Amino acid sequence: MTGMLGRLREYGLAVGANALCTAFCSAVSPFVALTDLVMVYLVGTLAVALRGRRGPAVFSSFLSVLCFNFFFVPPRFTFDVEHPQYVVTFLVMLAVALTISHLALRIRTQAEAAKSSELAAETERLRSSLLSAVSHELKTPLTAIIGSAGSLLQAPDAGGGHRRELLDNIREEAQRLARLVHNLIETTRFESGGVRLRKEPYPIEDVVGTALERLDKPLTGREVRTDLPEDLPLIPVDPVLMELVFVNLIENALRHAPESSAIEIAARQVGGRLEATVADRGPGLRTQPIERVFEKFYRAGPAPGGAGLGLAICKAVVEAHGGSIQAENRVDGGALFRLSLPLRGEP
Amino acid sequence: MDAPQTILIVDDEKAILRFLRASLEEAGFSVLEASSGRSALELAAAKKPDVVLLDLGLPDLDGLEVIERLREWTSAPVIVVSVRNDESDKIEALDRGADDYLTKPFGVEELLARIRVALRHAERAREDPEPLYRHGDLRIDLTARRVWLGKKEVRLSPLQYALLSILVRNAGRVVGQKQLLKELWPEGGSNPEALRILVHQTRHRIEREPVRPRHLKTEPAVGYRLEDSEDPS
Repeated sequence: MTGMLGRLREYGLAVGANALCTAFCSAVSPFVALTDLVMVYLVGTLAVALRGRRGPAVFSSFLSVLCFNFFFVPPRFTFDVEHPQYVVTFLVMLAVALTISHLALRIRTQAEAAKSSELAAETERLRSSLLSAVSHELKTPLTAIIGSAGSLLQAPDAGGGHRRELLDNIREEAQRLARLVHNLIETTRFESGGVRLRKEPYPIEDVVGTALERLDKPLTGREVRTDLPEDLPLIPVDPVLMELVFVNLIENALRHAPESSAIEIAARQVGGRLEATVADRGPGLRTQPIERVFEKFYRAGPAPGGAGLGLAICKAVVEAHGGSIQAENRVDGGALFRLSLPLRGEP
Repeated sequence: MDAPQTILIVDDEKAILRFLRASLEEAGFSVLEASSGRSALELAAAKKPDVVLLDLGLPDLDGLEVIERLREWTSAPVIVVSVRNDESDKIEALDRGADDYLTKPFGVEELLARIRVALRHAERAREDPEPLYRHGDLRIDLTARRVWLGKKEVRLSPLQYALLSILVRNAGRVVGQKQLLKELWPEGGSNPEALRILVHQTRHRIEREPVRPRHLKTEPAVGYRLEDSEDPS
C-alpha cells in the first residue's frame, strides 16, 4: 500500500517538476533562445532522478520533451513541429535527459553501497568492541580480586573491618565475574543456535522470585516493589533462561538507579499475553533510537559494570519465547522495560 | 566428642580441591581426596566416608555412574557439585540417589549448610523425624499437624499441608519435582503444573512476601527446598 503510494508520489513529483520548468520557461522565453529552454527541462529531470527511481526519471525525460514541444516549439500549443530540425533537438534532449537520469541513479546506488559498507565497518567495529568491553569487564573484577587477596596475604593481621572489607570485595567481584561469564556463555550459545527452550508453565512470581534470590546480595538495602497478582495464569517459559532475563533487567536497574530509589516489578494479563515490567528511578535512557540499548556491546554511558550483553541476551531470550521487549522512559523519570509474552506457547 | 566426620571430595580440579580441603578442615571435618571416579569408588569402599562431595565432570567415569555404584552398597549422603545449565544432570543425579547438589560457584556457608543437613538426615534415617520445624516466623508442628506464621495459625488445605510435611521431613534439602509428584499424588493423575500451583498457593499462606520467599525456595527446573530448621534439636 505505502509502496504504491510512494511510487505514485514519485511520478507526481516528475509531473510537478515539469510543470515548474514549464512555468519558468514561459517567464523567461521572451528573453532567451528557444533551445536554451531545453537546459531548464534537463535540470528538472535531474532533480527527479536524484530523488526517485528509474521509472519516474525516464517518465520525466519523455514528459520534458513533450512539454517543450507542446508549449514552446512553434506552432505552440500543438504537438506539431514546424521545422524538422527540432526533431533532432528532441532526440538529443531525450538522450541527454535519459543519460542524466541514468548517471544520477548510479551515483545514488553508489552512495547507498558506500553506506552499507560503512555499516559493515560499523559491525566490524562493534565486534572488536567485544574484546575491549569484555576484557575491560573481566579485568576490573579480576584486578580487585587479585589486589584484595594480595593485601590480605601481605597483612594477615589487618584490622577486623579492613579484613572484612577485602574479603567481601573478593566475593562480590567474583560473583559479578560469574554473572558476566554466564551471560557470555548464554550469548554464545544463542548465537550458535545451541539453545533448546525447555518451556513449561510457571507462575511468573516464581520466575521473578528466583531472579531476586539470585541477586540477594547486590539487592541488600534496596527496596523492591512488586505487583504480581496472585491469580495470574501460569506462563510457558524456560525457567532458567527467563530467570536470566529478570536477573539482567534487575541488575541493570541496580546499576543505574540511585540506591535510595525503589525497583518496581509488575505483571498483568493483557488479552492472550502476559505483560511484565521492570522499572527504575535512574536517569532513564538517552539512547537514540532507544532500541539500541538491546544491541550487543552497547553500553549506555559511564555506569560501572556490564559488558553490554545483559539486555541483548534479554531480547534474544524473550524473542525465542515468541515475545517482545521494549525500553521506555517513564514520564516521571527512570527507565522501564516492558516484556510481552504469549500465554499459550506452541507445544 | 567423637572422631571427626570424614568427607570424601571427588574433583579433578586442584584449585577446587585446595579450597574445599581448607574450608572443610577449618570446619572440623577430616578430608579425603579423589581426582577420578575409580579412585573415588576405591577410597569410599576402603574408608567409608560420612559424606561424598562429588563433581559430575570426572576424567574417567560419568559422575552419574559413580552415584549408582556407590548406591549399590552405601547410603552415605552424596552431594553433587555441578555447574548451571545442567539442570537435567541434577535431576538425573537426584533420581539415581544423590541427596542434594551444589551449583558452582558456591560459597562456603552454603557448602557447610548442605553437609550439615546431609549428615543430620543420614543420622535421622535411623530415628524418628524431628516433629517441630522452626524457621524465622514460620513454625510447623508435625505431631499436632498445625502451622503458625508468627502468632497466627495458618489454615492449609490437606494437600498444602502434605506438601509442607514432605518438605519439613527433608528440611534444608532439595526435593525433586518427581519425588513430590509421587508422594503427593501416589495414584498419579497429576502433573508438574498442578504442583507449581500448589507451591504457589502454599507460599501465599506461609510467606509474608511470596515473591521473595524466606522459607520455601525454588530450585529452578529441579524442585523445591524448605530452608533448614533453625532449632533442629
